[in-house]
Amino acid sequence: MARRTAVVLIVAAAMLLAATGGFAQDEEFVFGMVLVGPRNDHGWSEAHYTAGQYVEQQVPGARMVFFESLNPADAPETTLEQVVEEMLAEGAKVIFTTSDEFEEDTLFVAQKYPDTIFINVSGDDALTGEAPANLSNIMGNMELGKQIAGCAAALATETGKLGYLGPLINFETRRLAASVYLGARYCYEHYRGGNPDDLSMTVTWIGFWFNIPGVTLDPTEETQRFFDGGADVVISGIDTTEALVVAGQRAAEGAKVWAIPYDYEGACAGAPAVCLGVPYFNWGPAYVQVVEAVKNGTYEQFWHWNPPYFEDISDNDKTAVGWVNGDALTEEQAAQLDEFIAMLAETDPGVLTADNIDDEGKQIGLWVGPLALQDGTVLAEEGEIVPPRSVWYLEQLLQGMTGDSSAQ
Amino acid sequence: MTRSSLLGQRALALGIGMASIAVSLLLTALIILAVGASPLEVFNKVTEGIGLTPTGLDMVRFSGVVNFWIPLMFVCTGLLVTFTAGLWNIGVEGQMMFGAVCATWVAQEVFLPTVVQVPLEMLAAALGGAFWAALTGLLKTRGGVHEIFGGVAMNNLANIFSIYLISGPWGNQGGQATPPFRQETLLLPMSSEFRVSAVALILMAVVFGGIFLALSGTRWGLELKAQGHSQRSALLLGVPVERNVLLAMALCGFMAGLAGSVRVLFTYGNLRPLVSGGIGFLGLLVVLLTGTRALWAPPIAFFFAAILGGSTRLKIALQLDQSLAGVVQGILVLMVILANGVRGRLRGRHPAQAPEPSASLEAEEAAIHG
Amino acid sequence: MSVEVRHIHKTFGAVHANDDISLTFADGRIYGILGENGAGKSTLMKILSGFYLADSGQILIDGRLVHYDTPRGAIEVGIGMLAQDPLDVGPLTVLENFVYGQPVGPLPDWQAARRRFAELAERLGFRLEPDMPVERLSIGQRQELEIIRLLALGVRVLILDEPTTGISAEQKSVLFASLQRLAREDGLTILFVSHKLEDVLELCDEVAVLRLGRLVGTAVMPVTTGELVAMMFGQALAPPSRRAATPGDTVLEVQDLFMASERVVMRDCQVCVRAGEVVGLAGLDGSGQQLLTRACVGLARPLGGRVLINGVDMTGRPYRDFLAAGVSFGAAGRLEEGLVAGLTLAEHFILTDAGQGWWIDRERGRQIAEERIAHYRIMGRPDSPIETLSGGNQQRVLMALIPPAPRLLVLEHPTRGLDVESARWIWEQILARCAAGTAVMFTSADLDELVTYSDRILVFYAGQVTEVPDARSVTVDELGHLIGGQRVGEEAGR
Repeated sequence: MARRTAVVLIVAAAMLLAATGGFAQDEEFVFGMVLVGPRNDHGWSEAHYTAGQYVEQQVPGARMVFFESLNPADAPETTLEQVVEEMLAEGAKVIFTTSDEFEEDTLFVAQKYPDTIFINVSGDDALTGEAPANLSNIMGNMELGKQIAGCAAALATETGKLGYLGPLINFETRRLAASVYLGARYCYEHYRGGNPDDLSMTVTWIGFWFNIPGVTLDPTEETQRFFDGGADVVISGIDTTEALVVAGQRAAEGAKVWAIPYDYEGACAGAPAVCLGVPYFNWGPAYVQVVEAVKNGTYEQFWHWNPPYFEDISDNDKTAVGWVNGDALTEEQAAQLDEFIAMLAETDPGVLTADNIDDEGKQIGLWVGPLALQDGTVLAEEGEIVPPRSVWYLEQLLQGMTGDSSAQ
Repeated sequence: MTRSSLLGQRALALGIGMASIAVSLLLTALIILAVGASPLEVFNKVTEGIGLTPTGLDMVRFSGVVNFWIPLMFVCTGLLVTFTAGLWNIGVEGQMMFGAVCATWVAQEVFLPTVVQVPLEMLAAALGGAFWAALTGLLKTRGGVHEIFGGVAMNNLANIFSIYLISGPWGNQGGQATPPFRQETLLLPMSSEFRVSAVALILMAVVFGGIFLALSGTRWGLELKAQGHSQRSALLLGVPVERNVLLAMALCGFMAGLAGSVRVLFTYGNLRPLVSGGIGFLGLLVVLLTGTRALWAPPIAFFFAAILGGSTRLKIALQLDQSLAGVVQGILVLMVILANGVRGRLRGRHPAQAPEPSASLEAEEAAIHG
Repeated sequence: MSVEVRHIHKTFGAVHANDDISLTFADGRIYGILGENGAGKSTLMKILSGFYLADSGQILIDGRLVHYDTPRGAIEVGIGMLAQDPLDVGPLTVLENFVYGQPVGPLPDWQAARRRFAELAERLGFRLEPDMPVERLSIGQRQELEIIRLLALGVRVLILDEPTTGISAEQKSVLFASLQRLAREDGLTILFVSHKLEDVLELCDEVAVLRLGRLVGTAVMPVTTGELVAMMFGQALAPPSRRAATPGDTVLEVQDLFMASERVVMRDCQVCVRAGEVVGLAGLDGSGQQLLTRACVGLARPLGGRVLINGVDMTGRPYRDFLAAGVSFGAAGRLEEGLVAGLTLAEHFILTDAGQGWWIDRERGRQIAEERIAHYRIMGRPDSPIETLSGGNQQRVLMALIPPAPRLLVLEHPTRGLDVESARWIWEQILARCAAGTAVMFTSADLDELVTYSDRILVFYAGQVTEVPDARSVTVDELGHLIGGQRVGEEAGR
């Protein structure tokens, strides 16, 4: 019996060895993908992982090596530097570090390994000029996606109260929350015929990108609190899908509530009946561009803030930021939303780069005056466009929103 | 007990130990096969990840293991003290974090030559950790709060505090870590190949040696052992139980603070959330396995560091699920505990008079960590 | 059900605890198992009840060979042992302990269990409140609970290891009556382990005597005390002579002490103990004696009143201050209070040795340990873990840990669980210290001990303290009457 088991073990091992050996190809091109969370989080990290798989399909010979859940809590034994070195040992030529948590460490390894291309997602080192030539940044113009999300929320709400589940407070999270608010105000006024000042939106920052028991606020509990407080749509700004799950449970108990998840195209699947839609990142096309450029030797440093592909916002071969309607959206609402998206398309800023970000006339959807910050400071006068750089570095939430603009 | 039967027991213990290693290796191999990988390949990648390559020792990778081992050993050293005294210092994570916060404060606010600056940072971390642990100790001796509950609360507090500092006053424009520390505030690697801090390594060895001697050779160590077995009896024998609880906690916090300082001053070069990273809990596991046999702590801790460190290579090379290393670790721990049980059963049937802190704590740990 | 053991051997290291023991116990009879401490009685009983496995030998039940190696296995074949320290769970109630001590599903039938419990208790004459937390029971009541539990498990052979230590005379008579009923009416086999000859003489039908691991003889009652003592020790013993007391200065003075526990409230307690004097504290379990002893060593904080040691007010000071003031304390529970399971003999002496420096001198520790082992005739070696010693030897170690000449010696049940010879020897040690000027205060449930050794006796009843007018000439019967005579109407602890 033992002998037989041993034989089976050996045969199985040999087959697997042969199988893995078979992958080796002459023109293999290896790229690294460093994820801050698990690759199947139905959120931020999964979107990057899926994009990596997309690159493997689109670029002949491309092979991804990935490392998931690189953060002090899940992988205390390793650092970005060690992970990068292991990826280099695997032959990686370009490495995507897919979180602003990695911004500092990416700068460090980029300086240490000047022959490797590093792409830090959501960072600004290539915009500020701190980055060496082999370090570039990519971000999707989610501000437009969030405006669509805000519009969908305003179309659905019956109580006129929205809840926004925010992670921690920084430039990015402030401008995204504010974008939701802008979209919601616009649609509440234009499609619902309401007074936008009657629409309220409360932002609760849980303290991190995902729930850490005992450390962050519990997003499940916070969502319950929103609904208990009269809100009927909760928009998620965190990496995970608690808002949708809770809304699904409430709806099953008979409540009329909805949710809008974030980050990942398939996020609605958790509770389709209450999902109004999801704004998602589609990193694939941008990653293909980078990998091909590096492979062909045409890479040049860049800082890209990529817009949706407005002709077909859910065309995943083209768009950087997508939107899919959820099952909870009525036909009428869907039509209104299409109209809204078409309106946004008229001011499409295109790809914003370090060179054109300060150009006259670059407009990010509804970021037009009159707008004021939470403390009353005027951000833009009537009809004045808020420059994209000012959107990127948004100092406070907007006037009219409820919630903290900075950590207490 | 006669000499020959003692030898027999040694042989028995060794045999059981070997058998449990063999069983856990077999189980691991089966699990690896079940997820569709080759055990041999996994073994190769892990050993490669540790730095053991056919052409010799890869110092860069080996230093990765050592760098994880050093803070783990600081924590284990401290926990040996509290374990001997019968205390469950679950709060060791928070003590690491608070130590790291204190080291960060000095690194950011004090400007002195490196030879003074770095020791000052480490001292601040150690004192900070000791302070944090002493609070838990006071909660126990004065407030009657069990150290497990006090420790959990203090962990959360340290965590929230450090995240507040990072996203607030010490923040880097919304970044998720403080700005990198200045070069002269950091612990430096010995060489670009062997990237291990000599200061941290030597300090760790000295501290472990000192604590080992204190526990085995001093009256204080014997007092801790006595109160660890029976606090009531120790008190009646004249042991200053309450003072020793505070001292043991503070000493453990001191070590945990040092571990935290290594994390910020060497591993990361800045302060980030959850900087303790579960190393404290891993230390508890190591000490749970070694019991009071302190000399076993370094090899067992090194073994854990190696498995975890080697798994980085494993994950990237074979793209296996990230939890595999945890599963392997879990199997090993289970086997050691089982082997202890088997040995106890074979050894004879003395009804256990003073049960050692049992495995139920592990469940506690898992609940907190996971 | 009859039980037979054949050629039982058991060694612990170099100690041959049971050396070729063969005995037969018939049903419906009560057997006394006698022997001094360390004679091997407990080992034999633990083998019978599945706690130990014999190295060799056989156990037969009704002539059929049986094998088991756990207490559960023993209970399955019908043998159950009542341990010296009942193994119950403190915070649970009596009924919960009863239910969880049996094989039950996740949802026990509480009503049925309550009825069954009441039935058994009634039949045995035990008065146990099913809803009282076990931690508030006296040792005697905990034994009663344990007996009920074992009987409910269907045990036909009941082993009792030193059941009469630490219980009151009243509880003892209830216990004996119930044991006799179980043997005569239900045909149970009862094995009664004791060192107290009078208990054995009163209760048992036959005796078996062990000495140094071997069976030295059996006898059918009636037998005289002298015959039994001769079998146990090979000689007859007399108590140590009582010296003429010449009390010196007042060492301990307790004024208007006011204390309370869950079971008893004690008010206006006045006690005075002088150098060279032995004061015995008599009373039913939990009548307030322990409150007093604990207050006098700083282990319990009085609600009111003062405790003076050598004229210094020590009220509310910690235990270590009392130690520093020359007070020594020996608690009732040996391994719970006083000795540290897990430490060796030598380590105990090192801990209490003021001559040890910061760095332990192991050689000195070993020498002192050997000295004390020789002087106190302890069966053990310096490196023996304390928990491997027999109860009597543990008591000797406790005695050996007490400094040569403390100012005040407070002892709780100093000879509980000890055989006549060991008890006598312990008292020699106490009296020697007394002669050197130590003031002694002790509690005991053993009236003989109180009458024999006390210069003065204080009787505790429900927190009330009264001094026996003439302790020197009081008899056991008179003292028993004083303790129990006031029991009219209400009862202590209920």
